[in-house]
Amino acid sequence: MSQTTDSHADVPAPMAPHKDMKWIGKSVKRVEDPKLLRGLGRYIDDVVLPGMLHAAVLRSPHAHARIVSVDAERARRAPGVVAVLTGPEAAEQFGPLPDSGPAPDKHVWRVLAADKVHYVGEGVAVVVAENRYQAEDARTLIDVTYDVLEPVVDPIAAAEDTGNLVHEALGTNVAYERTFTFGDVAHDFADADLVVRDRLRWGRQTAHPLDTTAAIGDYDAGTGEMVVHTNSISMTWLAFGAAVALGIPSNKLDLRPYISGGSFGSKQFCWRSTVTAAMMSKITGRPVKYVEDRLDHQLNGDQHGSDRYYDVELALMRDGTFRSLKIDCVDDYGAYIQFGVGSHGNALAQVTGPYRITSTEYRVRAVLTNKTQQGAYRGFGADAGNWALERIVDKAAAELGLDPADIRRRNLIPPDAFPYHIPSGNMYDSGNYEPVLDHALQRFDYDGWRRKQEAMRAEGRKIGIGVVTANERSVYGATEFWFWFDDKDVPVKTTSTPEGVSMTVDTVGAVTVTLYSTPFWGNSSDTVAAMLAAEEFDVDPADVSVVHHGTKGGLPAAGPGGSRLTVMLAGAITGASKKIKDKLRRIAAHDMEVDEADLEWVDGGYQVRGAEDSRRSIGDLAMLAYLVKTALPDGEESGLAADFVYDHPHLTMPKPDRSDLGSFYPCVGHACHLVAVEVDEETGSVDILDYVAVHDSGTLVNPRSYDGQIVGGTAQGVGTALAEEMTYDAAGNPLVGTFWDYLIPTALDVPEVNFGHEETPSPITAHGIKGGGEAGRLMAPGALSAAIDDALRDHGVRVTELPATPERIVGWIQGHRG
Amino acid sequence: MKPPPFSYHRGRTVEHAAELLRELGPSARLLAGGQSLLPMLNLRLAEPAHLVDLGSAPGLDVIRRDGDMLVVGATARQAAVEHSSDVRALVPLLAEAVEHVAHPPIRHRGTVVGSIAHASAVAELPCAAVALNAQLTLLSADGVRTVGAEEFFTGAFTTSARADEIVAQVAFPVTGPGTGQAWSEFSLRRGNFPVAGAGASVTVADGEIVDVAIAICGVSDRPVRARAAEAALLGTRPGPEVVAAAAAASIADLAPRVDGDLAAHILPVVAAPVPAWGYRASVAKSQVRRAVTTALTRAGGVR
Repeated sequence: MSQTTDSHADVPAPMAPHKDMKWIGKSVKRVEDPKLLRGLGRYIDDVVLPGMLHAAVLRSPHAHARIVSVDAERARRAPGVVAVLTGPEAAEQFGPLPDSGPAPDKHVWRVLAADKVHYVGEGVAVVVAENRYQAEDARTLIDVTYDVLEPVVDPIAAAEDTGNLVHEALGTNVAYERTFTFGDVAHDFADADLVVRDRLRWGRQTAHPLDTTAAIGDYDAGTGEMVVHTNSISMTWLAFGAAVALGIPSNKLDLRPYISGGSFGSKQFCWRSTVTAAMMSKITGRPVKYVEDRLDHQLNGDQHGSDRYYDVELALMRDGTFRSLKIDCVDDYGAYIQFGVGSHGNALAQVTGPYRITSTEYRVRAVLTNKTQQGAYRGFGADAGNWALERIVDKAAAELGLDPADIRRRNLIPPDAFPYHIPSGNMYDSGNYEPVLDHALQRFDYDGWRRKQEAMRAEGRKIGIGVVTANERSVYGATEFWFWFDDKDVPVKTTSTPEGVSMTVDTVGAVTVTLYSTPFWGNSSDTVAAMLAAEEFDVDPADVSVVHHGTKGGLPAAGPGGSRLTVMLAGAITGASKKIKDKLRRIAAHDMEVDEADLEWVDGGYQVRGAEDSRRSIGDLAMLAYLVKTALPDGEESGLAADFVYDHPHLTMPKPDRSDLGSFYPCVGHACHLVAVEVDEETGSVDILDYVAVHDSGTLVNPRSYDGQIVGGTAQGVGTALAEEMTYDAAGNPLVGTFWDYLIPTALDVPEVNFGHEETPSPITAHGIKGGGEAGRLMAPGALSAAIDDALRDHGVRVTELPATPERIVGWIQGHRG
Repeated sequence: MKPPPFSYHRGRTVEHAAELLRELGPSARLLAGGQSLLPMLNLRLAEPAHLVDLGSAPGLDVIRRDGDMLVVGATARQAAVEHSSDVRALVPLLAEAVEHVAHPPIRHRGTVVGSIAHASAVAELPCAAVALNAQLTLLSADGVRTVGAEEFFTGAFTTSARADEIVAQVAFPVTGPGTGQAWSEFSLRRGNFPVAGAGASVTVADGEIVDVAIAICGVSDRPVRARAAEAALLGTRPGPEVVAAAAAASIADLAPRVDGDLAAHILPVVAAPVPAWGYRASVAKSQVRRAVTTALTRAGGVR
């Protein structure tokens, strides 16, 4: 990691794409899949420990109410019940949950509500019984008396309200407010030919993994050790937060990662399930399993996505050249703010997208309401940011009469401008955007589609085409969670967010990679680790063993999130492999009695340069390392093992006045999505006729799994654009609880995606890799919105609210705008 | 999402099941395919003390022609009806409607009669039964009686059957020459219950509509016959304008419903994002037009 305020003195020039690699860049079948496809994956709900109990949580039926009393006596006497813990009891015995929001002591977040419930679904008691049926039966026997309060629902009104507060101690419903000015915004707006304005609404959604969040707490009263098996993430260097909440020493806690049927960001931390299972195990002395059912997850999962109201202004010149951007955003965080306003850090990391825009003003108001709190969802705020930017660009194109592809092309950052600093301070490491646009236009046959569109429209069909060019920032530095605050006593430092791995080569040369706090979430952690190790040691990825280690005694690690995993593992595995290969070289040189400099690594072994016959394979050398001490150089330890902690490749300090936030999210990919749709004016349904996605995420590691990321992200983007919404009524009641109400697109609703790839390597990462895990969802909502506008241009419809549901579309056509 | 405690009773025959219902009283519920009842139990929206399972009673899974009627027994699976060539040939509207019910795995468990007896206001099969003027056989410890589909549905999830009566079978009139039938619906996601749907059966003779029945779901607390639309079509020589006018008439005499009034979901949950009346009516109109147009084409009435 570098910590410098110098612009990019330490950033090397972009490299050419690697073409000489054995595995990186090849489509490899995932090593995880054989077990998953045969039903041999072991999910948390498959795990049965001896004497294990089951927990069910009683949830608040009110959005906002004071807890007058909780009487659990009837429940305690119910069949099979072993323990009941009420919210007030839990507050006496256990600490608050870790919260990185502003002023956490003024909006205390607990595993169970203690004095007030803050949303429908917040836990007020937990029942542990011999089975889940008994726990759920007993839950209905708990008598809670509530003093119902007026709910805080509308964030715009709540921001002004000082009387009715979600958290009285905070004195306001606005948890955070700040206006950032990057560059000379006033001058650029005054200088511009015109200003385009838009008011936009990004609805509340969530990731909805098939496998909900779950944990098994297993406390050993003899040793004081607490093991928690969990499918949520548990960063080794932040696990102490759960230990504090549980009242146990941090080095007695082991959070062990499990595979899970999906996260999409939503399982970041999820302290509540971990602490629920662990505290009940501590109380009962037996293993306790807590698996969220779908209602638990929907209503109490701490995982809802961004819920934003935008006012956006773009200042530009008559010829379509962009000058400056103003964004004013109210974000409805729900009842707590566990990650602070980190999701706006994600938006600010690429606030101006792929465009040259010289200045930016960004105002954010984070409002607390009586709803489930936000977590992370694939894009983590950059999804909404990308959509808002693409919407205003489309509006500008329409006002100037420019083709939407043309206005984008004339504003793209040129390839010779990289590394490029955007107004907020973040650095884009490399990029070559125009070839991505050209590739996508050609793959889609843009001109052909425009002709076809006119012919179909002449038959009365409502056909529309949408195009977006958008960025995908990757590899965050956790600095973005605290650069919001500039308390003089606690000066902000950059936080590397490191990733450690351990590697061993055993006696016969077999390779093992140990990952820390990296659950398998449906992304391809094992395949990535295996391919990267296979590249180093010239073995088959299928022969590399990948181990998932718990937090206890673990190296610093943060696992997947912010599209970081592949880049960070590449750095760590490259580093650990080098240590082992250096040792192999020393052993080989000693054994062959040649100078180390005379050796070269070829096909899985060391040989004297050019002399194939002299090659000692990794297996030959490993045998010496483990079994023949006398064959080792003096002072060389036996065995072949190495740890390596890879720090973030490029972070720089924010300026004290925050006129520049420094570089905190620098591995920046790019994509162009093009879509053709047909809209049915009577029903408002949107049929996707053609979909093209061309992405550049630096060096491709496994095109096959990357395409999976793109199509999965695009599917979620389709849901975001057209169907998915966590709706609440005016009293704060959630209107969706199951997949019946929450409309995730199925295979029948998602288009075939026609993929294309470009490769502009990163100059700052191992192999030039950039992250790509949020691909698709960052682009599809903008592309579909534009296509709907285009299809309904005769009606003057513009999509300014997502999701654009069939009912909303018909309303817009009829002129009843939302 | 675990059901509350209940006792399980297996009906050895349909008559035995009826006796159990009589004996156990109104806290007993009948279980057939379980595709509606079991989710309701898991969400604790229904808490019956007893379940009487009809699943293993013999002879109830029939699909057979009986004179001018096609008879579907109480435990005949939706998938069996969907794949029956008899149903497709004799009652094409039923065959087309059942294809729209949920997804294949659900249709392999769910029953046609169970869906009709459940009486959702937006479901396909109750609506198809009304459009087809199906006859329901209600069996109890007292004997059997027959009611027409339109009299059977009395409101959302409510029917004219008593708590101790079993819908033992439903009989659908077999189509004759010159008759075309069609089902059309729009749902927010494929496999969901429709926002609104329409079933139409039209008979054309010498280029003129001589018989027509249309039913709509999603616009009232039960499936309803669109009599104004039928009147607009009967005796006409059909063309697109006539059909469009009939579609407009189909919703003209319906009472607008306030938001949230319609039991629009598989589960009678109180809070649900139900599409508003204006949108629902607009979709219903379009589905009537589409269903009638297709039915006419199949009847050979529109070129």
